[in-house]
Amino acid sequence: MAEEQVKKHRTPPDPNSAKYKLGQIAAKAYQDAFDAKVRGEKIGWCASNFPVEIPETLGIAVVYPENQAAAIAARGFGQQMCEISEADGYSNDICAYARISLAYAKTKDCEGQQVPMPDFVLCCNNICNCMIKWYENLAKELGIPMIMIDIPFNPDYDVPESEVAYVKAQFLDAIHQLEKITGKKWSPEKYKEVMEYSGRSSRAWLAATATAKYEPSPFNGFDLLNHMAVMVTARGKKEAAEAMELLLKEYEQNHAEGKSTYRGEEKYRIMFEGIACWPYLRATSHGLKDRGINMVTTIYADAFGFIYKDFDDMCAQYCKVPNAINLEYARDKRVKLCKENKVEGLLVHTNRSCKLWSGFMPEMSRQIGEECGIPVASFDGDQADPRNFSEAQYDTRVQGLTEIMEANKEG
Amino acid sequence: MSVKEILGRFHEIAADPKAMKDKYLSEGREIVLVNYYTPEEIVHSMGAVPMGAWGADVKINEAKKYFPTFICSIVQSAVELGMKGEYAGAKAFIIPSLCDSLKVMGQNWKVAVPSIKFIPMTYPQNRKPEYGAQFTKAGYERVISELEELGLPRFSDEKLKASLSVYEEHNRVMNEVSELMASHPEISNQERSDVFKSAFFMLKEEHTALVKELINALKEQKPGTDKLKIMTSGIICDAPDILKILDENGLQIVCDDVCTETRQYRASYKEKATALDSLVSKFCDMDQDTLLYDADKTRIDYIVEKAKKTGAKGVLLLLTKFCDPEEFDAPMIRKACEKAGLSVNIIEIDRQMVNYEQARTSIETFRDLLNG
Ligand code: SF4
Ligand code: SF4
Repeated sequence: MAEEQVKKHRTPPDPNSAKYKLGQIAAKAYQDAFDAKVRGEKIGWCASNFPVEIPETLGIAVVYPENQAAAIAARGFGQQMCEISEADGYSNDICAYARISLAYAKTKDCEGQQVPMPDFVLCCNNICNCMIKWYENLAKELGIPMIMIDIPFNPDYDVPESEVAYVKAQFLDAIHQLEKITGKKWSPEKYKEVMEYSGRSSRAWLAATATAKYEPSPFNGFDLLNHMAVMVTARGKKEAAEAMELLLKEYEQNHAEGKSTYRGEEKYRIMFEGIACWPYLRATSHGLKDRGINMVTTIYADAFGFIYKDFDDMCAQYCKVPNAINLEYARDKRVKLCKENKVEGLLVHTNRSCKLWSGFMPEMSRQIGEECGIPVASFDGDQADPRNFSEAQYDTRVQGLTEIMEANKEG
Repeated sequence: MSVKEILGRFHEIAADPKAMKDKYLSEGREIVLVNYYTPEEIVHSMGAVPMGAWGADVKINEAKKYFPTFICSIVQSAVELGMKGEYAGAKAFIIPSLCDSLKVMGQNWKVAVPSIKFIPMTYPQNRKPEYGAQFTKAGYERVISELEELGLPRFSDEKLKASLSVYEEHNRVMNEVSELMASHPEISNQERSDVFKSAFFMLKEEHTALVKELINALKEQKPGTDKLKIMTSGIICDAPDILKILDENGLQIVCDDVCTETRQYRASYKEKATALDSLVSKFCDMDQDTLLYDADKTRIDYIVEKAKKTGAKGVLLLLTKFCDPEEFDAPMIRKACEKAGLSVNIIEIDRQMVNYEQARTSIETFRDLLNG
């Protein structure tokens, strides 16, 4: 689960726009890590849902292998990187992000997205256990320490106290380990600041994505796939909070002026489920646009509402990320998004890379479809390995979905 | 009973778990399904029979409604059997969330097989610090309360203590028989597999008794002529066709790192204030396993050392298709074994395999390599 800035700008972007600023923040994260490395500081590779507050508060530069892999895939280098890992004996059934990242750990070079090499890895398995194996291998191959925060999949609707206690103890442990590795010190004042910025970013993000309730939506949902990189990695920064607030302002303004970043007439409104097919971003987005479909929401809209009042509350929030929650809770979150945003159809990406995300999606999407009275279509794909997607199948499935939405409108 | 007769009994049980289930049900016992690592001892102490549910070699039809194709066949076939009523009569299924596929299995199970209650067992990956032990205990307590809610007798630590003794003794005999079978090449790989597999379908005290009989009978028997010694590694190694091909090629499994075989019997209980804490200590001490966080990749060293110690000349890695935990370890296992002078053969398997010709060719090449 990770995203990055991939859209190519046809016209020079307005440097005062939220889009430009958000793009800059994502790009700067890589540069900051390179600079820190040059200064002789220790830098890390970090799982996308590792508590970003920890490195942020400690002032440690990290890069996100999932974001890097998404960038590599979007720029057309996914297959060649996957093949490097496969030649080393990694099965092509393994998550493509992991295959790309393990290949980069070996070659230390890919023009799709360069990153500095890590001095430690920060792993958190709240999105998948695949992450554990991937990071174990990185740590072992690179001979560096691994810090592991285990946030188990929660089979219940609510987060039990025992889990929060377990997670909190690990957060504290991770802080101590990082202090030891980097020589940096935890500052409660700085943490408070990070928490506040994270809250501001989150509130703005939730409000911005919620403007999809307007008809037409003031934005094209594909925007979210780009902007969320900042929410994942930088939401605790001042610039991120400001850029997200600007994004909200722009969306509200679009609505007031009857404009949208979705070009063309919005005939149908769908929810998209799953990670984007980065190697086929253009094809997947055009398949929708050509039919007047706007993807108005995704679970990401809800997922980054990281609003918490204190450290304990923050630990509880990390137990509720999309892939860590049970069928009922995951379904209800999506049903809410569908209803609030007047969604007319659900398009599900059955992602070959992601067993956890796709593993109970057939049942979940059935339940969502029934509860919201909307059609559901799915297509096979992969977020980073281009070999697992068929444009023809995508087209047929989207067409089928469109026809039912059309019939529903008429009916 | 003779060695052959005892092995025949193990085979009957391993080949027909449903018969065992029906037998226990007819005796008025409750059945609780378990797999991988679950607190079976708790189930046992509460008077029920824990029974292994690792799926079976069947075609997936109904479970397709729930799973995309790329989820492993252990998970899919277990749900298939559940949907077809093969586990009918069982009260509950304790499913641990040790890998992503097991996580989704639990979620699908509760919808696909609502008549058999899904009881989640959430283990910590950071199991070494005290907070990991506490979280394990909380997981066990939850299992206990769910079992009580289902009407099983109330949990008692005293009774658990008695069950731990039963399991400890079983652990001991399983390790003993495993070593003993290694020195008896006349025991086929199928027979060896039956000894391990049957353990999932019997009360452990009954299995222990039968294993002890085998041990005694084997000690009286003159070992057969040597075969080529190999080690197996993987999640399962019970496909009759694979075992037969190994037998036909004169290969003898002398030790394993297979999840359904000796990985079950590596850890033991520590003395603690309560039996429940002792049970917790067993899980927290578990290591060298793909499903458990292992930053130092100690499993890899374990395989190399174990193979060397038992005189295995090669390692056969049976990679369950779509099992990403195991797939991540495969390249490192290969490298480490080759460095240590051990031949490695990797065969991809699943529970829907019908054509074993590729596996046969691969095993034949492996044999030639070991001979050479
Ligand atoms: S398995 Fe899924 S959640 Fe895990 S890294 Fe891959 S895409 Fe992300
Ligand atoms: S460990 Fe592997 S074989 Fe077992 S359930 Fe998980 S993915 Fe399937």
